[in-house]
Amino acid sequence: MKRLSLILSVLVTLSMLLAACGPAKPKELAGTLNVWSFTNEIKTMAIAFQGKHPGVKVVYTMIPMTNGEYQTKVKAAAGTADSPDVVALEAAFVKEWVESDLLADLNDLLPLTKTLKTYPAVVQVGTSDGVAKGFSYQATPGAFFFRRSIAKECLGTDDLVKVQAMVADLAKFEDTAAKIKACGTGDYYTVGTGGEMFLPFLSNRSKPWIVDDKLVIDPKIVEYVHFAKMMRDNGYESGATQWTEGWFAGMNDTLKDANGTPKKVFSYFLPTWGLPYVLSPNSTPKDGGAGTGGDWAMINGPMSYQWGGTWVGAMKSSPNSELAKEFVKFVALDEENLTNWATGVYTNAYLKAIDPTTPDDQAQAAGDFVSSQLVVEKITASFDNSTLATFLGGENSYGAFAQAAPSVNGALLTGSDDAIQRALNDPLAAYLSGTMTEAEMWAAWLDAVRNEFPDLIIPEPPVK
Amino acid sequence: MNLAKFKKIPTGYLFLAPFILGFLVFGLYPVVNTLALSFTDTTLMSGGGHFIWFNNFKRLFADEVFLRAVGNTWLIWILNFIPQIGIALLLSVLFTSARLKIKAVGVWRAIYYLPNLLMPAAVAALFNALFAYYGPVNQFMVRAGFLSEAMRFLESIVVTRGLVVFIQWWTWFGQTMIILMAGMTSIPLPLYEAAMVDGASVWQMFRRITLPLLKPILIFIFVTSLVGGMQMFDIPFLLTDGRGSPLSSIQTNNILMYMKFASSKGHIGAASSVGVLIFIMTSICALGIFYFLRDKDMDEIKPAQKSLFKKNTARSQS
Repeated sequence: MKRLSLILSVLVTLSMLLAACGPAKPKELAGTLNVWSFTNEIKTMAIAFQGKHPGVKVVYTMIPMTNGEYQTKVKAAAGTADSPDVVALEAAFVKEWVESDLLADLNDLLPLTKTLKTYPAVVQVGTSDGVAKGFSYQATPGAFFFRRSIAKECLGTDDLVKVQAMVADLAKFEDTAAKIKACGTGDYYTVGTGGEMFLPFLSNRSKPWIVDDKLVIDPKIVEYVHFAKMMRDNGYESGATQWTEGWFAGMNDTLKDANGTPKKVFSYFLPTWGLPYVLSPNSTPKDGGAGTGGDWAMINGPMSYQWGGTWVGAMKSSPNSELAKEFVKFVALDEENLTNWATGVYTNAYLKAIDPTTPDDQAQAAGDFVSSQLVVEKITASFDNSTLATFLGGENSYGAFAQAAPSVNGALLTGSDDAIQRALNDPLAAYLSGTMTEAEMWAAWLDAVRNEFPDLIIPEPPVK
Repeated sequence: MNLAKFKKIPTGYLFLAPFILGFLVFGLYPVVNTLALSFTDTTLMSGGGHFIWFNNFKRLFADEVFLRAVGNTWLIWILNFIPQIGIALLLSVLFTSARLKIKAVGVWRAIYYLPNLLMPAAVAALFNALFAYYGPVNQFMVRAGFLSEAMRFLESIVVTRGLVVFIQWWTWFGQTMIILMAGMTSIPLPLYEAAMVDGASVWQMFRRITLPLLKPILIFIFVTSLVGGMQMFDIPFLLTDGRGSPLSSIQTNNILMYMKFASSKGHIGAASSVGVLIFIMTSICALGIFYFLRDKDMDEIKPAQKSLFKKNTARSQS
């Protein structure tokens, strides 16, 4: 209590100081801004933006990304009268937009990335030919989350360093998976689906998918396919499809096989956003029950990687380009907003005070990992006793992510990633379940890629 | 038509105008524009493209992807249309039969029609969840002993195609039945009465009275179902991954067109070429249906009428 009042008084003095010596307010922003995104996340910041600039009205449109629906809609709207002013772009397709001629030049905002110490990969992904066209409020290094209780039972320890040593590389990971399968009554899976490991392999390629108009099948991709097959054939993964009921059920111990035997999943590969948005919300069963909160731990896992992230860009054709740029600046390059975003300041009460029609689930819980190293360093300590730390058995996830973030490589993303990767899912599923041979799988995938990119030079398949 | 004539009857044309305008803007223009686009390499991300002659069409036939999609579409449509028209015919004969006099026909009709009111998206999502690896169908089948272990239904070509066929049949046979019943009730009863007096069997009455008089209705059902079937999209798109998984076995014409449209750069030129080919294929087939199901008696009557007409005019002229 004492500490809280101290913080509060410091804040009050600070704000008074700032108000006293702050520069004359710049001209008030006004107008209507159309923002399109594929989740409701940015809506929270849009409301906060309206709170800062009462003259601005943000019209927010959310279109889900399922089966590429959002990507198609934005593409179709670009260049027409229905075009949004600001678009949110996911890692899988941000490059195709950054490389296109549709986004406005945001180079004026680059100096801010220096002051905020924005992680280099975040800026790199949003830049094409030296022109910055999109920035992100997130950095998304990946991690490996495991169940402490299963680690104790099957591996003899839940010590983070010791468990990390047991999964430090793929060979060790395979040994550990065998141990977990042999443990107890044999009802434990190491991962929910082999598909989760795609991103770790993808991040560790040496070349992007397309180099000089030629498709590159990196050895890591071949290795991934073999690894996923090994996981499936040995029964180390549950066989559920990622993002479906069965996959989520493993997070809260309600996974049952067709005979009704309860099954448990030891670990999940998830990035920064996976913790507050995926793992933690799904750790409690929908129909009540204890859930698995507090039983999780987070380590680096066999490979360091990055996964996803949302970039924000302003459309070149927008009649409100200044306002759009201001909005991008607020979302991705505003220290106060990023701090509020990450520390749970945007509560329902906060948002409803600005816009009474705010839905009840709009609040942004603390824990999203932000793109500014400056902000990260300032707020990491505040997560020592947070809800997420309790969820992880006392571990400060923010600190762990902060160590991984600077090493993320942004050079591997290209504009065609989404289509190339989505084309692999179906043949790979057929190979894993045994309805296709490996050679057939590669051929089917390359055919699908060729059909979507008629001008791309397609190499010989790795296995014929 | 001259202006004086138009001035006499402007109201009629005024009533026609909204449709004609609507058709020109929303019907004809898109068709012509699609045709024009199909000869270009226009993409959504880069705007105006170049005229590339028949390259889009050449590419479609360069690999088996397009032909496979056409094959899938036909297979799924035929497998769903045969039981659809069969069951609908059987039910509508039963419901309109003067002999059986089934009670509460309206209730039955409503029940059979109900699935048609469901949203295709919801139905597809429901079946996707039901047949998931950890889904209820697997739980039931294994626990009841029908399967020894859980099956990957949605990775099996037969099961997935079967599901699409079933959903299409299940949502549309009620609609077909209602149209057929409307056609059957409009057949004059005295025809059947006369046939009964002559000692005709049920089958003979169906074959000799119902079917011939139902022909215009059947042609209508045939053509609308064909057009709908060739454009099949929502159920196969939403049942699996939106790319016709497993192994592109439910990748229909329209899914392929959408995939080209939604590809990373948004190749609307290539997508239009798929649309143009579907249009040509459907038109030829619809005209074929009209030709083969035409009233063959009329072919014999027409020349006779014509010669009669010629004779008459010749006579009046002379």
